[in-house]
Amino acid sequence: MDISTEQIDNTTVVRMSGNLDTNTSGPAHQKIDALIEEGNTHLLVNLRQVPFVSSAGLRILLATAKRLNGTEGSLKITDLNETVNEVFEISGFNTILNVFSTEEDALKDG
Amino acid sequence: MNQAPSRSLLPRETFALGSIPLVESDSVLEARRKVHSLASVVAGDSLLSTRLATVVSEVGKTLQRLNNQARIEVGLCARGNLPRLLLSFVGELDARSLGYLQNFFGHLDEDASSSGLYHRVNVELTSTGVDNATLGRLRQIVEQKTRDQLLEEIQTKNSELEESLETLKRTRSAKDRMESELNIGRDIQMSMLPLSFPAFPEQGEFDVHATLYPAQEVGGDFYDMFMIDLDHFCFCVGDVSGKGVPAALFMAVTKTLIKSRAANDLSPASILSHVNSETAVGNDSAMFVTLWLAILNLQTGELVYSNAGHNPPYLMRAGGDMERLDKRHGPVIGAMEGIAYGEDSATLAPADLLYLYTDGVTEAMDIEGSLYGEDRLRDRLADADYPAAQDAVQDTVDDVWRFQGDASQADDITIMSVRYHGPVTQEGDTELILTMHNDITAISAVNDDFNGWAEKHGIPTNVQRPMNICLDELLNNIVSYGFCDEAVDEQHEIELHFRLPDSELVVTIVDDGKPFNPFGNEPPDTCLSVEDRPIGGLGVHLVKNFMDKVHYERHGENNVVTLHKHLDGENEA
Repeated sequence: MDISTEQIDNTTVVRMSGNLDTNTSGPAHQKIDALIEEGNTHLLVNLRQVPFVSSAGLRILLATAKRLNGTEGSLKITDLNETVNEVFEISGFNTILNVFSTEEDALKDG
Repeated sequence: MNQAPSRSLLPRETFALGSIPLVESDSVLEARRKVHSLASVVAGDSLLSTRLATVVSEVGKTLQRLNNQARIEVGLCARGNLPRLLLSFVGELDARSLGYLQNFFGHLDEDASSSGLYHRVNVELTSTGVDNATLGRLRQIVEQKTRDQLLEEIQTKNSELEESLETLKRTRSAKDRMESELNIGRDIQMSMLPLSFPAFPEQGEFDVHATLYPAQEVGGDFYDMFMIDLDHFCFCVGDVSGKGVPAALFMAVTKTLIKSRAANDLSPASILSHVNSETAVGNDSAMFVTLWLAILNLQTGELVYSNAGHNPPYLMRAGGDMERLDKRHGPVIGAMEGIAYGEDSATLAPADLLYLYTDGVTEAMDIEGSLYGEDRLRDRLADADYPAAQDAVQDTVDDVWRFQGDASQADDITIMSVRYHGPVTQEGDTELILTMHNDITAISAVNDDFNGWAEKHGIPTNVQRPMNICLDELLNNIVSYGFCDEAVDEQHEIELHFRLPDSELVVTIVDDGKPFNPFGNEPPDTCLSVEDRPIGGLGVHLVKNFMDKVHYERHGENNVVTLHKHLDGENEA
């Protein structure tokens, strides 16, 4: 799991690469938490390079969303592939997280 | 009281019309009416008829009072060209009555023979003659039944009818009870059988087919077939003594014991010995079961079997030779405790076919009562070359039906056939077997290996990725929660088996952790704190939704999870 970041205006774009699963979710969670500690409270997680997300990955996304909501921050998720989109639908996460089809769409929004 | 003679007392040349009884006052009135009618028909003279009727009434009263079987016999006789009506008063008459008759008729024939007196009174007929229709009418008059007679008859008929209805009801309810018990027994029996074929479509190593036709009344046949693990197929055919619910329950117990024992025991001899010990204890009703059980090693073709008093099966070799697996290894199951059964083995080559049956086949009878017989079955099999197990079953069943014709089926008819195809792995690299240790970090390697194999076989990503998620979820579950009761550093192996039968991806995951069905209820609190436990069931929820079919089974010391996903990637669930 590789994670790169880019600051666009007040949004921190987090681009993940690799599966978000049992083994990678822990390190990914730490990386995101570190970003929040540094004061980055508006996160955009781009999943374009993530082949699949398992329930372990969903858990860290949920935990992050909860944490940011409590600090006036925000979490946006973009670029879900077919499988990941299905995971979001099956789990109902598409209704509780802010999901956008592309980074551009997400940046335009609010 | 005198006993009137019961034989007819009419003169020989007389054509008898019947007899009018004089047994009570009502019958005297009846006799009067009948004689009046007869005389009217024969003589056509109403005055004569009335007078004659009066005489009959007076004399009849005396006859009825004095005699036990008093009667008036009626007949026709001829004198010259004219027929005459003949009335014979049968029974003893007192002097007054005799005088009365004598005054009326002028002449009386008397006969004091037999046990009493009888008197004959002849009445001259007019010239009209008697045709057949008149004759019929006369007879009808004589035989007419009185209202009381009719009533009595109806009452008798009624009570007879009621009685037989009662009897019918009683026998019906007893019969119904018996039938319904037999029906329940049959329902239990049939509900225990694996009935859907092909039974193991994902097992390319063999195909199996079985059929059971229950007889109307007798019969306790059963069969079973199941995979013990990925390489061992267990199958058996048996026949329980007795019928109805007790036999069905005995069958259920036997079947359950076999399956549970076979889960961690690959020896038919040992399985039968165990099942026998369990069923023989406290078997008060002395029920027993004949059983032929075998375990086929799908990789090597080795067939190990044990026979407890059952018909030996036939082994039809691919080359056309046929042999009989006629070794016997002990008595019927359940009869006596503590028997150690033996076992033998044979090696099946690809395209060899096994044919198992119960005695209902060879003892099927035709309408004349002759048996289908062992010879006929053997000849039929010897001449045949069945491309599939189902063909062997169907062909012989058809032949038995043809033989039986309209005769009724005497016993259950059960046939099972197993055709060995040889190990699948030899046919091509369509299988992937992976082993991992109970280490979370090993999950990624499993997914990588699977993806490499999947790409080689052109499995689309919309099948691959959902499978990646399912493996991540299930393996995480097993590694995290499956072994926590034991020493932390104890190593366990988890085996994964990937196959591609019939445009379907089938994955089997076997672990030796605690018994746990991931698709059942939530795991009981195992060894983690509440904070560390996963959000309830989300992972399994994903698995169930992504896969077309999921299945869990506990096999001996192993949890076995099987996942099915169709290769078109569409979700059926």
